[in-house]
Amino acid sequence: MSETHAANPTPQARESLFKRYQNLTVFSIYASFVAIVVLVQLVSSGFARFPTFVSPVNIVNILQQVAVPGMVAVSMTMVMISGGIDLSVGMLASLVSIIVSLGVSQWGLGVWPSIALGIVSAIVLETIMGFIISRTRIEPFIITLGGMISFQGIALLLCNSREVVMKGELDFLTTNLIQGVKDPVTGLILRIPPYVVIFFVIALIGGLLLTYTKYGRRIYAVGTNPRAAFLAGIDVKNIRLSVYAIQGLLVGIGATMLLARINTGIITLGQGLEIDTIAMVVIGGTALSGGRGNIVGTVIGVFFLGSIANAMNLLRLPSEVQFLAKGLVVIVAVAAGDVSSQISEFRALKREQAWARKEAAASKKGGAETQASVQADMQDSSA
Amino acid sequence: MDEILRLSHISKTFPGVRALQDISFDLKRGEVHCLCGENGAGKSTLIKILSGAYQPDEGGQIFFNGNEVSLTPVTALRMGIHTIYQENIVFNDLNVAENIFAGAELTRRGLLQRKEMRRRTEQVLRYLRSDLKPDLRMNDLASGQQKIVEIAKALMSKSNVIILDEPTASFSSREIDTVLDIVRTLKKDGLGVIYISHHLDEIFEVGDRATVLRDGRKVSSYPIAGLGKTALIKDMVGRDPSTFYKRERVARGETVLEVRNVTGNGVKNISFDLHRGEVLGIAGMVGSGRSELLEVLFGSAPLVCGEIKIKGRPVKPSNPEEAIRNKICYITEDRQGTGLFLPKTIAENVVVANMVNTRQLWTLPSEELATGEKYVKLLNIKTPSAETQVVNLSGGNQQKVVLGKWFNTGGEIYFFDEPSRGIDVGAKQEIYKVMVDLLKEGKAILMVSSDMPEVISMSDRVIVFKRGEMAGELAGDRITEENILTLSIGDSKA
Repeated sequence: MSETHAANPTPQARESLFKRYQNLTVFSIYASFVAIVVLVQLVSSGFARFPTFVSPVNIVNILQQVAVPGMVAVSMTMVMISGGIDLSVGMLASLVSIIVSLGVSQWGLGVWPSIALGIVSAIVLETIMGFIISRTRIEPFIITLGGMISFQGIALLLCNSREVVMKGELDFLTTNLIQGVKDPVTGLILRIPPYVVIFFVIALIGGLLLTYTKYGRRIYAVGTNPRAAFLAGIDVKNIRLSVYAIQGLLVGIGATMLLARINTGIITLGQGLEIDTIAMVVIGGTALSGGRGNIVGTVIGVFFLGSIANAMNLLRLPSEVQFLAKGLVVIVAVAAGDVSSQISEFRALKREQAWARKEAAASKKGGAETQASVQADMQDSSA
Repeated sequence: MDEILRLSHISKTFPGVRALQDISFDLKRGEVHCLCGENGAGKSTLIKILSGAYQPDEGGQIFFNGNEVSLTPVTALRMGIHTIYQENIVFNDLNVAENIFAGAELTRRGLLQRKEMRRRTEQVLRYLRSDLKPDLRMNDLASGQQKIVEIAKALMSKSNVIILDEPTASFSSREIDTVLDIVRTLKKDGLGVIYISHHLDEIFEVGDRATVLRDGRKVSSYPIAGLGKTALIKDMVGRDPSTFYKRERVARGETVLEVRNVTGNGVKNISFDLHRGEVLGIAGMVGSGRSELLEVLFGSAPLVCGEIKIKGRPVKPSNPEEAIRNKICYITEDRQGTGLFLPKTIAENVVVANMVNTRQLWTLPSEELATGEKYVKLLNIKTPSAETQVVNLSGGNQQKVVLGKWFNTGGEIYFFDEPSRGIDVGAKQEIYKVMVDLLKEGKAILMVSSDMPEVISMSDRVIVFKRGEMAGELAGDRITEENILTLSIGDSKA
């Protein structure tokens, strides 16, 4: 049996590129999307103008828009890999913005203590949800749905259903880090505020954490098979709790950045954030069932979802179309991931069958003994 | 008594396994016919053929009331053949009446006839002499009461044959009496009952005839009146021990695990010592509390009372993490459900348990891969590389990945639960060899197994479980099928 293996390299040995590099599918869809938008722009301008979609000023624009949802998407990826989900991030962000803005403008706490209060509140609230999720058998969907509604309630109580306007105390968070740089194409001023950098730092840390630390590997283990993870000595409960605490930290930071941009603590600040981040994460290939996903995929998802509205705008399509487009992208990206894995499974099966036929033909000459070993091998691989 | 059901020359082959071979069997009206045999003797396959879930191989015949029939799940029910499986299949959130009529609700012009269903439920429960009420929620019933509801459901439609598979497996003795009373009632009213139980007491109490299966063949069939228990057990065993795996013996070393009066998770008062260089087998019927004991010792189920010492040091196993630190390894029975991360690679699976023992926070994928490759080579796992997803491996190779995971922790006390279940013969022998190698290195093995040849050939000593308690211990020449079976199913007074 082992001899036949040696003579014929196992069929699984050759894997398709798409299977090997799990982010390639979504990346190629994104690349084609960008290519199409660029092409449309070129054609409509008669190849006379540089396509504004890929101009530096527009790219920097997209970066500013996606940075905050991107941060939250990083921790959402971790939550979803562990097998959970968090619907509360949007309302939590609104709540944090209201706490921070109240702290600064009405409670007289000073800027940094207010920010700290906002972030700590987010961590505490997420930790409470994480505690309930990890200690009971209630679905995370339900707990965080309840969280979402309660956070909205707390936020409205705190601000008396009014918006809290600040006097630009957080402006230092939106200063341009590359002052004086101009776009060579359009001549417009480029802006890179600190939160863009923070997003990349967080994504980098998140990626390293998931791939290169024991903690990260354990998140995957818990999401893949919690029972086996428990029996392998993993503290399943506290891992599940901790991802929500991290979620709280990043929502806290993200909400502060959003607040700095619009200078007003308001209940609509985080509206739809949960939808956007979950969409980004699933476009990036993270499975809702847990155990599968990675930060690189999520970052692609972040840019993908973030550039849709922008592209619609540049193509002068009505803004209402963007929701339809976003929805279709989610479906197409996730379906494409599944189709590509089905195709590679189908190909592997075909290869295996061809290989077995060849073996069977060879054994007709060679005698019955090899026949039996081929059958045994086939059972082996199908088991 | 007229004959209701007859099987003649029934065989059933699965890929690679001959589950049943040339079985003939008959059942008369008003008779309780008991099926006996060890785990894996073919009892379940036979009843699955009777319920229509499996189709027998060509060549056999099934007669119902003298006419040849072919059984499918639908035709079996139409003929009134009802099978009540060991696990209760109920709708927990519905009440008794709703459960009884689930799928066959009484309606008039599309509306449910609640009153009528209640009335008939009360009627059938009265017939079974049960004090259950139609409005009780299934969730609130004990498993014995749920069993009664299942029987009531079977009786609600036309019924000729009732098949009871291990109806009392997890029952208290009062519940057992209720079930046995019901069997007597059914018998009196002219139904045919096929009764399967590990407990010979029950068989002798209600049975009229017994048929003994062994390795998929019928060994004997006789009336129970005047039959002795020893005769029955003799027929259930009887494999030739010379065909068993021959294992190298290793000198026994010091005690590594002392268990005293351990109680909890359904086991009571268990005491034994485990030494380096020995395999201590735990035998007994499925559900007798063997795996449950391992769970308690490993800290994945709570210990109620009792003492556990590892290398002379008292320990309180509160979670698996601590057990792994104490050098315990637990190769679980359900490889795919609790042992492996199927969509993950061999390397990722192998490194996961040892994370408990390492201090550093980092783990490098390249190092993980190297560890994976090491165990691929060491355990002869047939795969192109350690990057292969475990889901693509065969059962035997998956088991080797589980072993690799535990070897990597440097454990010294190995709990094997059904070490070779679902594994082909070649891989089985490799696993046995690996186990002996462990013993040579001075490790100790506690092995739960339902596979008699495995228990007999691999164990230095065997403790036999019965209903959560130790029924006895066997060593040396006394480890025979007959002795094990006598302890595990024989007279409870013995």
